[in-house]
Amino acid sequence: MKLQNKRGDKILSVYWFAILVIVAVGVVLMVNTFYGKGYDVREVEARILAEKVADCVYFGGESNSLLLTPQGTFREDFKDNFLSFCTLNFDPGKEFVRPEYYVEVNFFPDTNLRRSSFVLSEGNLNWKPDCEEKVADRSKLATCVEKEFFMNAPGGAVYLVKILSIVGKVQENV
Amino acid sequence: MKKRGEILAENVIFLVLNIIFLTILVLFLLKQAGGAVLIEGSYSKEIALLVDSAKHGTIINVNLQKAKEVSDENGIDFSEILKIADGYVTIKLSDKGGSSYHYFNDINVSYYPDKNPGYEGFYVLNFNRKRA
Repeated sequence: MKLQNKRGDKILSVYWFAILVIVAVGVVLMVNTFYGKGYDVREVEARILAEKVADCVYFGGESNSLLLTPQGTFREDFKDNFLSFCTLNFDPGKEFVRPEYYVEVNFFPDTNLRRSSFVLSEGNLNWKPDCEEKVADRSKLATCVEKEFFMNAPGGAVYLVKILSIVGKVQENV
Repeated sequence: MKKRGEILAENVIFLVLNIIFLTILVLFLLKQAGGAVLIEGSYSKEIALLVDSAKHGTIINVNLQKAKEVSDENGIDFSEILKIADGYVTIKLSDKGGSSYHYFNDINVSYYPDKNPGYEGFYVLNFNRKRA
């Protein structure tokens, strides 16, 4: 009887260690799933970018005087200096590396909300098709945020401003 | 008497192995949760977001006490863990690597560890307009 008990104990301990190994593998897999995922901040980043552009274009009920003349016409030179006028810098500072951002601002007159009368855009246009992709897992695509508001222009005109901000940075966040 | 001794020895070995196993598991979990790589990544991103949303004239106190604990363990001076330059926020808590994250706000940032008593492990970020 005693010998049988001893054998039973050994079998039990083998099973016990098998259970421990299964638990360990499970814990390692769960931890890796949890901590292995990148800390994705792109949506917040894209929102901040859209807010910053919105504040640059229209702040406190007044449009940027560098964007619109007192008569209410758009200044073409704003397009060329969009980033510097809005204190933005998309330059990654590395050779052969494209910017990880794209911003597009469309101004639609309230008389025709289908046709944009002025467009501002800067950054890496290659990210834009990612916004149209209809897939469940968007983690490996750029993050897109849209923001829109109405703006009173100096000449009495009203514009619907649509801002599209995109942040790439897939490798850093996935 | 001899048999009893054998059984006791087996039990002791069994218990010791169990304890070793659980210790390794707990250490693994602690290392994963508080590892330098993880903290570097999250702090660099969060500070980059702070820089992005900051306006000139803003002063922000950032709590980096967790980072200080890790940098102290790794022998890195707290005043050297943060670098904000050329559009990148870099956090380095060990001799290896470090983590960088790009920010888009074209603003001048000066930063230094807070010297006030009670604010050990804090950094002061001061945002100013860039001079043309």
